[in-house]
Amino acid sequence: MNETISGILERKVEDIKAGRNTYATGQVRLVREYIVEATGLENVAYFERVQVGRSGEGYVDAIRRDSVLIALTHVEDKIKVGDRVVATGQEFHGYYSEGSLGHVVDMFGTDCLAGKKLDGLREVAVENPPIPIMDRRSVNRPLLTGITGIDLIYPIGRGQRQLIIGDAKTGKTQIALDTITNQAGQDEICIYVAIGKTKKEVKDIYNQLLRRGAMEYTMILAAFNDDCAPVLRATPYVALSIARLYLAQGRDTLVVIDDLKRHADVCREIALLMGKTPGRDAYPPDIFYTHSRMLETGCQHMNGGSITILPICETKGGDITDFISTNIISITDGQIVLSAKNFEKGQKPAINYGLSVSRLGGAVQEAAMKKAGPPIRRELLSYLEQREVFELANADEMGEAMRKRMRRGALILEMLKQHKFAVRTSQTMLDMVARLNEDEGE
Amino acid sequence: MERNQMMTENPAAGAAREGRLGRIISVSSLKVDIFMERSEVGRRDVVYTLADDGTPVWFEVAEINGLVASAICFGMANGLRRGMEVYRAENGIEVAYSDDILGHVFNSYGQTIDGTQLPPDVPVRNVYDRSLAMDEIVIDGDILWTGIKVLDFFAPIRKGFKMGLLGGAGVGKTVLIKELIHNVYQGLRSNSVFVGVGERSREGRDLYDEMLEADLLDKISMAFGQMGDNAMSRSRAVYAGLTLAEYLRDEKQQDVLVFIDNIYRMVQANAEIATELAHMPIENGYSPALLTEISEVEERINSTEGGSITSFQAIFIPADDLNDGAVHAISQHLDGQVVLDRKVAEKGLYPAINVFATNSRLIDPEVVGQRHFDLVERALRCLSRYEELEQIVAVLGIDELSEEDHNTFFRARKLRNYFSQPMYVAEQYTGIPGQFVEIGDILDDVEAILDGVCDDIDEQELIYIGAYMRTRRV
Repeated sequence: MNETISGILERKVEDIKAGRNTYATGQVRLVREYIVEATGLENVAYFERVQVGRSGEGYVDAIRRDSVLIALTHVEDKIKVGDRVVATGQEFHGYYSEGSLGHVVDMFGTDCLAGKKLDGLREVAVENPPIPIMDRRSVNRPLLTGITGIDLIYPIGRGQRQLIIGDAKTGKTQIALDTITNQAGQDEICIYVAIGKTKKEVKDIYNQLLRRGAMEYTMILAAFNDDCAPVLRATPYVALSIARLYLAQGRDTLVVIDDLKRHADVCREIALLMGKTPGRDAYPPDIFYTHSRMLETGCQHMNGGSITILPICETKGGDITDFISTNIISITDGQIVLSAKNFEKGQKPAINYGLSVSRLGGAVQEAAMKKAGPPIRRELLSYLEQREVFELANADEMGEAMRKRMRRGALILEMLKQHKFAVRTSQTMLDMVARLNEDEGE
Repeated sequence: MERNQMMTENPAAGAAREGRLGRIISVSSLKVDIFMERSEVGRRDVVYTLADDGTPVWFEVAEINGLVASAICFGMANGLRRGMEVYRAENGIEVAYSDDILGHVFNSYGQTIDGTQLPPDVPVRNVYDRSLAMDEIVIDGDILWTGIKVLDFFAPIRKGFKMGLLGGAGVGKTVLIKELIHNVYQGLRSNSVFVGVGERSREGRDLYDEMLEADLLDKISMAFGQMGDNAMSRSRAVYAGLTLAEYLRDEKQQDVLVFIDNIYRMVQANAEIATELAHMPIENGYSPALLTEISEVEERINSTEGGSITSFQAIFIPADDLNDGAVHAISQHLDGQVVLDRKVAEKGLYPAINVFATNSRLIDPEVVGQRHFDLVERALRCLSRYEELEQIVAVLGIDELSEEDHNTFFRARKLRNYFSQPMYVAEQYTGIPGQFVEIGDILDDVEAILDGVCDDIDEQELIYIGAYMRTRRV
């Protein structure tokens, strides 16, 4: 029996070798949402692009002993059992063109607003080998967001991965957009990746950036809600592959990924449909690796270029300790936590200064900011803590030193308030701190 | 594209090629099934196939069922096809076993990744070989002071100790590990091994640079399987790292410090591998062999007559869930643990240690002395009363407290502030230079605060300082 199987295998392989340039074909056996199982396709490679039926496309997601699982990335007509599947002999790729900047594009290089493919498209790999540890350098150049609560207190450096996390409608995307607009003239390419956003939302973001002249150096890479789930899954990887092209030229790139909770949910959906064993909260056991290998692309490279990543993660009920959030927090170099309570109270940007962290801290700040930042942060945190504990205490009974601290804390908090798209320069921030210290002196 | 940067040297062509093992019959992102002509491989044997461009793609055999072997990829599976020929490698995963390991950085598969080449004839050892018999293990050792106030006071360690550092995401595990490397290393003056498992590559690079700058690189050996690497690499980094440490302990007879950041990631990687092998999972998707896998590793981390291994193991807590099965299974092997707490970090107090969940076997009058023991008891009582009082104050205000509670309330706050500490490796966050604090000073200061000697000073004076009383007297 075993003799026979290996005999068959041997013959098949010989057949394939003889007819190398004829593509392998197969037949659809099962259709489940956007997952197709096909028989045949003996010589297909893992992650190879295939054509399914008349207009469907997808890639090989698993090669089983007697069939192949295909994740569809594009479907127009209904796919039926028995439809022909054709292997292309090519790895599944994303596409990118120099002209992508300034446009809303998808991972296949389509200009979504014009509805046609861009010119000069080139293939970009979806997945790349990790950037070696020894090719990295420490992150120490600032990436200024123009937001006082970030640049002064929880700074971001070029090559850093800083998570923006919070409930819906707390201004997460706004922080990213402010940061993008603040990159004008900074020689920083920006890629805004929309995962599972509505077309309306993406159009609005495009208009906001266009109006402020930020589209000149920005590309919006979108995977919409109604795209096939495998496209939503692959799009952020393509964005980072594009960033790696710029990195290879020694350029700096900022990638905003909006958002990873949706991405995790898409991956869960695909894994469960493919019959993979679920882990915690039904996410696939490799969900950490799904995000870690993506975000590990962020780095300061030894060639001088960098990839900065601002992933966004949406939470429920202000809980940043759920499974996906803690996973991503444990990957990134820090997090900006936004709180619904602050947002309602008008403390905008609604940063929760207690829960936010930067693991790089002053290492990425210019000298003056580095000097001004840490004391302000310490005073602010101790004010916030004391305000909570002594909420009911009689102000008259507090010591003079403490009353002074409370007054100053309130002033610091006021200084950190900032409207959207009202970015500040570091000098403005330093002047504000200086004024605060002067007032204190009086 | 480089399909595999793991093993670069081409295996002996002709001869090895003759000994074909079989062909690939199925492929997923992490695993291939191989139909063998003869069943002649064992678990943990290494096999390879050749990609279209001739580069070898490596696997480790995980399971054998009749003539079908399931093997786990060392790298990416892209481009693998059914029918590709598979050959058997001569040896399993091996890492250098000589003085050459110091100053070098290895990947999980035993190759240097710091751009250097070890001599071709360097002795090597299989990473799975060693296990300790009970009569080899030695359990006593001298106390090792870390100079970190909250650690030395609540959870002291000694040579041969296994200390866990537990913490959710982003509460300062890695900073604490780096501070320990900085402080303990200075005290012990021995070689150490750092194992990076599923953590940030950036931190790996920074550690390398810091060791280089501090002129300590030739005293440390490192093994990395970081979070950008696949599950196989993250799982095996620990084995490679332990083999390096065992060389120093067994052959050089040294007291070795081993830092594992982060041991939880090995369990997580094993869960990914188990899923690919279609093993039935236990709760939260972990591998059914969770306990076996942890024990296999932890039982190797021990001291012998000749040398000792003192280990610090960071443990990630998924979803801030201290009852997580994997976290629990790892803690069973520890002699003590330090728990980092988001609620403390939120107040800006670092190291953000939850003193109630932190413990050590050494907090025993016979080991640390009666005074230390009593002070720990008193401090814990004071701090736990504070937690209760905090809620009363939130409702009734501070004026409603009795005089005794009033004192406890403010002394506890001072104590809490006192246990924050400027760390050498955190100077970039705090802007304050690090401090190494002697145990004698810590005991004096804690006693002074509890006895009310410091009642009149502002609590802010105690935050981020080193020793207090001694500097005040001067």
